[in-house]
Parts: sequence; structure tokens; C-alpha cells
Amino acid sequence: MTQAATNNSETSTSDTSTSDLMVEMRNVNKWYGDFHVLRDIYLEVKRGERIVVCGPSGSGKSTLIRCINHLEEHQKGEIVVGGIPLTQDVKRIEQIRRSVGMVFQHFNLFPHLSVLENCCIAPMWVQKKPRKEAEALAMEYLERVRIAEQATKYPGQLSGGQQQRVAIARSLCMHPDVMLFDEPTSALDPEMIKEVLDVMVELAEEGMTMICVTHEMGFAKQVADRVIFMDQGQIIEENAPEPFFNNPQSERTQLFLSQILGH
Amino acid sequence: MIHNKETIPQRPAPKGTIGPIAWLRGNLFNGPVNSIFTLLGLYVLYLLVVPTVQWAFIDADWVGDSREDCSRVGACWVFVNARFSQFMYGLYPSEEYWRANIVFAMFAGIIAWMVIPRLPFKRWMTLFALLIFPVIAYVLLHGGYFDLPRVSTHRWGGLMLTLLLASVGMIGALPIGIVLALGRRSNMPIVKTFCVIFIEFWRGVPLITILFMASVMLPLFLPSELSVDRLIRALIGLTLFQSAYMAEVIRGGLQAIPKGQDEAAAALGMTYWKRMGLIVMPQALKMMIPGIVNTFISLFKDTTLVMIIGLFDLLGIVQAALSDSRWLGFSIEGYVFAAFVFWIFCFSMSRYSQYLERKLNTGHKH
Repeated sequence: MTQAATNNSETSTSDTSTSDLMVEMRNVNKWYGDFHVLRDIYLEVKRGERIVVCGPSGSGKSTLIRCINHLEEHQKGEIVVGGIPLTQDVKRIEQIRRSVGMVFQHFNLFPHLSVLENCCIAPMWVQKKPRKEAEALAMEYLERVRIAEQATKYPGQLSGGQQQRVAIARSLCMHPDVMLFDEPTSALDPEMIKEVLDVMVELAEEGMTMICVTHEMGFAKQVADRVIFMDQGQIIEENAPEPFFNNPQSERTQLFLSQILGH
Repeated sequence: MIHNKETIPQRPAPKGTIGPIAWLRGNLFNGPVNSIFTLLGLYVLYLLVVPTVQWAFIDADWVGDSREDCSRVGACWVFVNARFSQFMYGLYPSEEYWRANIVFAMFAGIIAWMVIPRLPFKRWMTLFALLIFPVIAYVLLHGGYFDLPRVSTHRWGGLMLTLLLASVGMIGALPIGIVLALGRRSNMPIVKTFCVIFIEFWRGVPLITILFMASVMLPLFLPSELSVDRLIRALIGLTLFQSAYMAEVIRGGLQAIPKGQDEAAAALGMTYWKRMGLIVMPQALKMMIPGIVNTFISLFKDTTLVMIIGLFDLLGIVQAALSDSRWLGFSIEGYVFAAFVFWIFCFSMSRYSQYLERKLNTGHKH
């Protein structure tokens, strides 16, 4: 298999100690039935790094990040998250999930719980925090995503952008070491994309480790340390944003970039 | 080009498009054909309602103690009156009615407490209703403790027995149904197979067969010292039968919950049981209120089938009273009374479920 990835010296991780690595994926392969969705994925993400994953639909980018917290199961290869190897062991999977936050394309807020309860439920039931403490924590994060005044409402009463910001706050309440974003702005009306991206930029500037599947190239240019381009289940190209956008190496990357930036 | 510089103020709707007259015109008298059907319908309604009211209320006889007190023009409620306590308690000894009355009163109190939203301590009340009340009810009804004379279960009957069968059936069927539904969706092959076989077996057999097997066949196979009370056997049969239906209703609800809900809960590190108990099940049960209540109502009415194993529920005791030679010929009154009592309970359940649906509705689903 030819891997056209072009690591530049800054992001090559060969000489970094393992304790610094938040996520390691080595030779990860996954199949849906006969369909080979992830092919020989190698990816290392250091603490504090911001990664943007892009590529055409069906290229396996969502599957890639969903493997990190075992929402999808990989069949071959090795995934290590925060030093813990991901195995079939349910306890271990839950341990990893507690330290990995995830934001979904369709928000997936719990519609039967208020905004505040959405944020409190995991701290209270997973981390066993007392209600008072969990609520204070939730309010703090709702404040940070600028939606505290909606705390008593239900998700169905909020706009898409507001819901997605609540979803980000809900994840942050678990104090994750790394945040996964699965196309967080794809289901939003155009005028709401910015309010979500602003929150994500702030989060990035605070030093959160982030892996972000998105088509927002402006966001990638602004905050990403590395941009990863995927096609047909493989990582085609990997580079810092500036060279990635200005000087893409592979033909497929060039084609993809011309399609999404060209209009 | 600017169309409207000023905001257009809100104006009232045109005359004759809102209000009851407009509704009548729009829905019942919009055109000659519909007007004719409306009038025809009103006439049919008149033909049905007037004689019924005449029979049931105006010409009816209410007081007395024998059939001679009935004029035979309208309904003879004297019959229901005279047999009322039997309809309520079955063959329960009349000097012990007070025990059944206490249980009835507690039962009504618990229901009222649960249903009236303003009353506090719902959680404690639920625990009391599920754990302590059954013990009190058993001790009181069955006796044999605290100098209370024993009243064996074959003397229990009437509405008391109907309510007992229905409440035990409902309270048992719901949790068993939940477990079976989760089991049927499980990834574990043994659990799944067991649940599928269980559900399909109980769903595939008529309730009458199950009751019959429980009362006639089981004692033939079991050694006599292992004999279980006939009422208990009926209760177990009824509960397991209904739990299979309940499982399928709940499975339908579970399937309607988007996968993203479980994924979001999983991504927060919740265990399977927390995901189900806190996120998936509350939403599924809420959506399934109509289906669950539907099952409850059919269970309530199915309790009448215990008649075939010699238990006298409300309908059974009414039928038994009809064959009393002193009261021959009052079957319409008896059946109307039984139907009315059943209808009251089923209709209340239906109304309460509609109220619950409205109360628990927190906006659109995702």
C-alpha cells in the first residue's frame, strides 16, 4: 500500500516520549462486512494538538474518530488512548470514554432532560459527583459556551447552534483529555455555524487536544496544527495547514481542495 | 426595492372564519351533501339515545329488594342493588367485608396520591405501594394472622378479584416486559434466544389455554404437596402472558429511539444499565405510553377469562347471579352494570395516559 503522507519535521512524532501521546492509532483496519472502511491507519496525536480531518463523504473520517472511543470497533491494529490500549474489555472502554469527549453532527442531546440536566447527568452518574457540585460545574461550562440563560429549557426549544453549544458543554463537564468533533457544523443553518466555531476556536486556544472532522477550512487554517486528508479509507496526506492548503502534494488532495474551495 | 418599510401591525382574522358557528359551517354544513348527512346522523343519534335514556333512567326502578319491586317497563336496577356487595366482594364472608374495604380504601388512596400532581413524596408512595401495601393487603384479605379468621382465596371474587388480578398483572408485566425487551435486543446470543423463545411462546398461546393449563394440567404433573393456590397460578399465568405482549410494545419503543442517543450516553462513559435506565428507557417508555396503556386495558378486560377456571371475577359473579332463580330475566341489567364498571376503569386509564403524554412532552425528538 502506498502511503502518500508527507509528514513535515515539526509534526513527526518519532522522537516523542509515549506519555505525551493522547491518541495512538497503529495499523488500524476496519471492515463493514466486506467493505474495507479503514485501511492501515497510522495516527499519533500529542497532548494539546489540534487535528483537522477532512475528505470526501464516505472516506472513513467519521469512522476513524468513532473508533477512538469505540463507538465503532476496529478489527485489526492497535489504538491507545491516554496510555490505555483499547481492547474488548467493557470496563476499559468505559474508562477511555470518560476521558474522551465527543460532539456529534446531530448534537444527540437528551430530549427528555433540560439543558442543565443534560450537562449534569454524566458527572452525577458516572463520576458520582453530588448534584450541587455537578450543577455548579454545568453552569460554569454553559457560561463558557454563552448559553447559561437557557439552562432550564429543553433541547427541543433551542436552535441548532444553541443545541450544539450545549453538546460541547455537556462533553466538557466530564473534563475530557481529548475532544472528538464529528462534523459539528454540518447539520447547522449557515448563520449558526459561526457561534459554534467561535466556541471551538476558544477551546482550541485554551489548549484542548482536539480531533475534528469538518469541512470548515477557515477553522482548519485558524487553529489546526495538522490537517489530515482521507480518501477511500486511507490517510492520503498529512501536513500543517499552511503547506496543506497552499501546496497540496497528492493529486486527490488537490482535486478535493479545488472542489471545496473553488466556488 | 424595499417592500414594507414599517412592520405590518397584527390584524384580526376576517369575520366568520373563527368561532363555533364558523366551525359548524366548515365541518358539518359545508355543502348540501354534508348537511344531509349531518341531519341524518343527528336523527339516528336521537333514535338511539332517547329510548336508552328512557329505559336506563326514566322508567327504571332503583329501590326495593325483590323482583316484585320492578315495574318491568324500564331497567330493574333493584337486581344490581340487591346483589351489589356480592359483585364487589364475591363470596367473601359479609362479616369480614371491612377488611376488603380497608384494602379498597388504601388502593384508592394510593392511586389518588400517584395521580394528583401536587401531592409530594411520590417516590416514597411508590415504594409503599410496591413493597408494603401488598403485604398489608394479603394479611387483611387472606387473614390467618393477628386473630383475623382465614378467608381462603376461592371465596375472593367480584370487583375485588378483578382489581387484584389486574394490578398484580400490570405491576408484574411491566418490569418483566422491560427485561424481555432489552434481552431480545441484546448482543448475547443465549440471552437473546431465551427471550425470543419466551416471548413467542407466551404470545402464541391463547390466554384461556394458559389459564386452563395452570389450573387443570399443572396439578396433574406436580406432586400434591407442591400444589399452589389456584389464584396464584392464575396470577402467574396472566402476568407472564401479558409480559410477552408488554415486551413487544417496549421493544417497539426502544427501536424508535435514535441510535445517537445511546451513542451520546456511551461517549460520556455510561455503562449499559445507566444508558438504558437514564437515557433510552425513559424516552422509550414515554413514547410507549399509548401502547403500554393499551396493553394494560386489554389485561384488565382479559381478567374476566379466569371465569373458566372457576374464579369469580366481576363478570363471573354477575353471570352467576343471573342464574339465581329469584332473579331470572335480568341479564341485560347485569351485563350493563358489568360493562359500565369495566368501562369506568378502562376509560380512566385511557384519560390518565393522555394526561401523562401531555405532561411528559418536552418538545420534538432528535
